[in-house]
Amino acid sequence: MNMVEKILARASGRKAVTPGEVVVANVDCLLLHDLSGYLTAKVFEEQVKRPMRYPERVVMIFDHHFSPPNEEQAVLLQQNRGFARRHGIHLFDCGNGNTHHVGVQNGFIRPGTVVVGSDSHTPIHGTLGCFATGLGNDSHAGTVMPFGKAWFRVPEAIQVRLTGRHKPGVTPRDVVQWLIGTIGEGGAIYKALEFTGPYIHELGVWDRWLFPMITVDVGAKCGYIEPDEKTIAFVRSLTDRPFDPVTGDRDSTYEAVWDWEISDLEPQVTCPPTVGYVKPIGAAAGAPIQWAELGGHGGGRIEDIRMAAQILRNRKVAPEVKFNLVPSSRAVFTQAIREGLVELLHEAGATWFPASTGSNQAINMGAMAADETMISTHARNFPGRNGSPEAKMYLASALTVAASAVKGCVADPREFLS
Amino acid sequence: MEIRGRCWKFGDNIPTDKIVRTDMIFKPWSEILKHVLESCNPEFPAKVKPGDIVVAGKHFGQSSGRAIAAKAMKQTKVGCIIAESFARTFYRNGFEIGMPLLECPGITAQVSDGDILRVEIESGKIVNEKTGGEFEAKPTPPFLLDMLKAGGLIAMADRLAGEG
Ligand code: SF4
Repeated sequence: MNMVEKILARASGRKAVTPGEVVVANVDCLLLHDLSGYLTAKVFEEQVKRPMRYPERVVMIFDHHFSPPNEEQAVLLQQNRGFARRHGIHLFDCGNGNTHHVGVQNGFIRPGTVVVGSDSHTPIHGTLGCFATGLGNDSHAGTVMPFGKAWFRVPEAIQVRLTGRHKPGVTPRDVVQWLIGTIGEGGAIYKALEFTGPYIHELGVWDRWLFPMITVDVGAKCGYIEPDEKTIAFVRSLTDRPFDPVTGDRDSTYEAVWDWEISDLEPQVTCPPTVGYVKPIGAAAGAPIQWAELGGHGGGRIEDIRMAAQILRNRKVAPEVKFNLVPSSRAVFTQAIREGLVELLHEAGATWFPASTGSNQAINMGAMAADETMISTHARNFPGRNGSPEAKMYLASALTVAASAVKGCVADPREFLS
Repeated sequence: MEIRGRCWKFGDNIPTDKIVRTDMIFKPWSEILKHVLESCNPEFPAKVKPGDIVVAGKHFGQSSGRAIAAKAMKQTKVGCIIAESFARTFYRNGFEIGMPLLECPGITAQVSDGDILRVEIESGKIVNEKTGGEFEAKPTPPFLLDMLKAGGLIAMADRLAGEG
């Protein structure tokens, strides 16, 4: 069995499971954010009407809001707080950072466990050797909250093996975007994607994290990286709660093995209107932008902030560009302060925002008018997620986003790196 | 379970954001229903009738996993959705709220807007009354047919958790 099959077997009290089978498994962690949490809470209290069985496994994080912009939103957050209090679940209020980062930083995500969440990027936690996937409100309210369980169909697995070294100016984020373009939107519907190969295992944990993040956008159910010493050391540095990591058997079977060598890749840009329109930078460079952002679950890591600083040292943000910086958690902001990056980027003309999810879905910031364009490290660029449905969104690495902020148009970061 | 209705056809990769716009998710159903799939077909929200059948391309309902997209489709009272393929969260949410979905690769080439379709959910048999064409959807897992019969996940949750 592969890692996911083993985790699902253990969590459902079976010796073995096979792809296609439906199992009912114990869930170790449920992550909710301020929007999905509200919808789930309503179903739980209005339709399910039962006690919360394992409140210690449920974590709610306010991340689309870092501060309510109007009364309606203030009321929504109040209702979420009331729900959290009534049922004794963990609550991380405005300003803590985005769901997934807060979950990881606080030790809720441990190798070998089952993690679910309503955010569709929940598979991101496969990075730490979890079986992690997004479910809908009714699963969370109907079986996870009252029984600590959920149903799963065991997915077929595809192994994605990456080898090579990326060139200077190219980052793991570029490799990830290229993968989405290559596999295609819906190119791996329902599969479990195992990311492996020397390229992946040489990366640090926060860089690996970008790979399982994309699985939803190619339609997969989950993505994962088998835990190694780096994973274990990383999780041990965050929590002393015990965990029991799982790796796949030598003879695990895969529906397919996709092998790619990435050494020749150029920086990649995802163009409007959807996540599948990925092009090498040369094909997109020159498009004017008015907004740039490091944020969303794809960015705002300390790695991203360092890359922005690398480009902006001794340079300024173009006068027509607003460059928003959104740390993914308080811990990241602390680190940026220690490294002097907060001042450097502030002086260069960028604007710091509180730790949150940033302008993803423009709940709290980052709406655009019809003729405006943004380049960001977000996970998604579907029309209408940032204000006008006619506004455009490009996705790129932090290096490319920062280079574009300097130039006022989509720009190749290699011009600024020498 | 047999459904007969008028076909509304949509393209590939329709995200949940186009089924229910993000700025609508906390609005009452009466508001939401005025805009369902509106950016894909402006006539749909006003003209869709109970029992109509939505036929979509690949990866229908991709992006966010919010059940509200599936719930909104159910609120329009369409009888079922047939797609070349579904995003997995949409597929899961559909059955969990008691909304029948069928996967039928190749279907979009065989039907047009306005055709009358007849669909048998359990067997997956689809008939286009206009052209006389007959098609077979992929079989629906028995577990999900069970959930549909129960009226959705919440109705069968105890049984599922082994506590019923
Ligand atoms: S795109 Fe990112 S910020 Fe937005 S909901 Fe998904 S994970 Fe969260």
